Amino acid sequence: MKRIITGGLLAVALLCPGAMADDAAWAPETFTLDNGMEVVVVPDHRAPVVTHMVWYKVGAVDEDEGKSGLAHLFEHVMFKETENLGPEEFTTIVQRNGGQLNAFTSWDYTAYFERVAKPQLGKMMELEAERMVNLKINDDPEGPFISERDVVKEERRQRIENNPGAILQEQVLSMLWKGHPYEITVIGEMDEVAALTPEDGMAFYEKYYSPENAILVVAGDVGADEVRMLAEETYGKIAPTGTVDGTRKWAPVPLLTENALIVHADPKVRQPSWSRYYSGLSQSRQRRESYALDVGLSVLGGGMTSRLYQALVEDEQVAIDVNTYAWTTLHDEGPAIISASPVDGVSLDDLDTAVMAEVRKVLAEGFTDAEVERARNSLAAEAIYGRDSQSSMANLFGSTLALGGTVDDILNYPDEIRSITTDEALAAVRNVFGEDRHYIEAELVPAEGGV
Amino acid sequence: MTYLKLILGAATAIALTACVSEPLPTPEALVETVTEPEMIVDVHKGDFAEIQQFVTPGGVSVWLVSEPSIPILSLEMAWRGGETSDPEGLEGLSDLVVYNMNEGAGDLDSLAFQTRMEELNMSFGCSTGNDWTSCSSSMLTENATDAMDLIATAFAAPRFDDGPFERFQRENLIGIKQRETSPNWLARTAMANARYPDHPYARQTSVESISALTPALAREQMRKLMVKDRLLVTAVGAVTPEDLALMIDKAVEGLPDASEIEAVADISLPAAPADPILVDLPQPQSLVSFSAPGLKRNDPDFFTAYVLNYTVGGGGFESRLMKTLRVEKGLTYGIYTGLSNSDHLDSWSGGGQTKNESAGEFLTGIHDELNQFVADGVTPEELDNAKAYLTGSYALGFDSNAKIADQMMGVRQEELGIGYFDTRNAKISAVTLDDVNRVAKDYLSPDKFTFVIVGEPEGIE
Repeated sequence: MKRIITGGLLAVALLCPGAMADDAAWAPETFTLDNGMEVVVVPDHRAPVVTHMVWYKVGAVDEDEGKSGLAHLFEHVMFKETENLGPEEFTTIVQRNGGQLNAFTSWDYTAYFERVAKPQLGKMMELEAERMVNLKINDDPEGPFISERDVVKEERRQRIENNPGAILQEQVLSMLWKGHPYEITVIGEMDEVAALTPEDGMAFYEKYYSPENAILVVAGDVGADEVRMLAEETYGKIAPTGTVDGTRKWAPVPLLTENALIVHADPKVRQPSWSRYYSGLSQSRQRRESYALDVGLSVLGGGMTSRLYQALVEDEQVAIDVNTYAWTTLHDEGPAIISASPVDGVSLDDLDTAVMAEVRKVLAEGFTDAEVERARNSLAAEAIYGRDSQSSMANLFGSTLALGGTVDDILNYPDEIRSITTDEALAAVRNVFGEDRHYIEAELVPAEGGV
Repeated sequence: MTYLKLILGAATAIALTACVSEPLPTPEALVETVTEPEMIVDVHKGDFAEIQQFVTPGGVSVWLVSEPSIPILSLEMAWRGGETSDPEGLEGLSDLVVYNMNEGAGDLDSLAFQTRMEELNMSFGCSTGNDWTSCSSSMLTENATDAMDLIATAFAAPRFDDGPFERFQRENLIGIKQRETSPNWLARTAMANARYPDHPYARQTSVESISALTPALAREQMRKLMVKDRLLVTAVGAVTPEDLALMIDKAVEGLPDASEIEAVADISLPAAPADPILVDLPQPQSLVSFSAPGLKRNDPDFFTAYVLNYTVGGGGFESRLMKTLRVEKGLTYGIYTGLSNSDHLDSWSGGGQTKNESAGEFLTGIHDELNQFVADGVTPEELDNAKAYLTGSYALGFDSNAKIADQMMGVRQEELGIGYFDTRNAKISAVTLDDVNRVAKDYLSPDKFTFVIVGEPEGIE
């Protein structure tokens, strides 16, 4: 149903690392084609199916000023037409072959996938290779590019403008990332999307869509030799374009320099909520510190057993829910967030006071070794459970490599997480939520009068 | 292909890491050596999964797929009977039961129970719907014995403490306020009130019903919902039938043997109203939902309708509603249709969203497409494409432990039979163009559909 899972706002932070260092049976293999295209093969022989993905190292971060939403709109256009495939024929062929397909765009990457029975893998490679090099964009002013713009505008209304929480979050992230390429959300500003042209799309394609700017990930019932043979017959025939030099517009996100309050009042809000967004970390820039932060935030506010939940929801009963989490899987630093929703009769100011008093108390007292051990074991176990899903594994390898990480980063994750000490977890949280740090407070409240 | 494998249940030690996935090649020889077989395992070697079917010594019926390659176990449990059994005025009672199932048992209060689950890196939670109550759990095989012991405590000695009970009430009272501006809830409620206002499926929680609940009522309701004789179990993971049987018997030992669940009447739907039902909600898009009578799972035309639905709105970009309303006209990000089945209601439904300004055009477009199916049916090429996708993609639903456990539970709940996975594609391939076009005429006329529009739609007459 949904062609993309971006909107950018919520989905990206949810990819969690998975894998197990002490199990060689499913060990992935990597190699590079002569034209520069990287390949990762992740064996999973439980069922005779494969997940085939092509990741391009281009996303919303690469858009020019005034062209927000281009990376994502272009992703939609990739399903339209090529020299050898008629309009919408790509989807018809994949589905006729029993395949499921979709694509998604982030600030950091764009990925396309097909899930098929194993014998169809070669056909999928032919199709993806075709649209890597032979895309056509119809420039009829009333044609498919224009109607696809309208589709994306509907998508923006559906993901963001219908949803008071998403409207508020878009404003907050825009302030947190002021001046950084992440400032505008992936789906783009409505008026900028409306002004994108077929020429914009073609220029974007010619610059960023090339084998040396792509990563092939195949997970499933297949071996590296077979993938190499099929990939050389398809992608391997495409010449590199030399149009990208591997540099991206990535840059460290500066720390917030002052506190701010953003209030969104909406007639659809019936239950207020409160959040504080602090400058956080990214795995790509500070891998170990990010892992320590994940462990620490799990202890502080990561579920029912967490300190904040027990104090504010169970004991004081001022909140109906409370959470802490961080977006650490973007290339550049994302937010670390404390959020809560009050019980009836508690104001957001009182909630803020109660939550922050508890945060200060916990960070002053420190964590116990037992709770830190539980948190890091849970994160490590998620990596084992993650192996149950072939598409999750393909996503994990693709996103990690697209951000410049390595297969070893994934394989070492469980051991690395288990080695995080209580002191490291505490230090990471104290650092991010320190008294010297600034934050954006976000309040979602009912509009006067209501519905 | 089905044959029998006999196992000495009592002699088997719990050794989860050594998992037997191959059935014994010569079962006859084994039979001769067995004096008192405790458990018969019926191995069904299917195209998509090798299902080991057995009844535990304690009487629980289990379908298991042994899968040794990942050290995890996925477990699904289900009992027929759910929210329709909530007494009048106590709506939310079954939900309170399932909420409490991981909120404390035996010596462990809520925090201690949740902490224990974290220590074991397991999940365990229960849910309920109109017709069914379910629990599911994932565990690492190295912790499986301890994990199942914890589940045993939850079934045998649930605490129903005041703390979690009052939290449940607080959360639900807020949920009742929040749902009033949820477009999907508003659409579902308007649809239920239009189609079956007096049936138990249309009942909702209210401030009064949530306030009237007590832990004692929940304790009593749990003994009605979760009983041994209605329990269905499916499992996938690195475990043998004999080990799993021992663990399950121990886990459910504390449940009552049986209970009475009151019968619920089938729904007979009234004619659909001529005009769409409008629900005002201030937002930029209108949500358009539509529902008509569907087909029972055992209706001879069910597969025909299922194949037809792909071309109507079930096939993503290959469906006509998407091709026309999204790809050609740019009116929506997505529109879909699907068949749904429950114990007392079968529906053919769909929905999509468009900006308020184009709601009228969108609604007309849906009507036009449905009329087209009634008038001209589908093309032979569309039918071939639908069958090719539906059969070719079926294997994709069997590539994870969790998916296989779910699929097996679906087959058990719908009583489709252990051979269902192996015969399903043949039933799809057998659907003919004449059948599809006849079913389109019988079911897809727009006047059979109740339309609900939530938002601030424009251009609706």
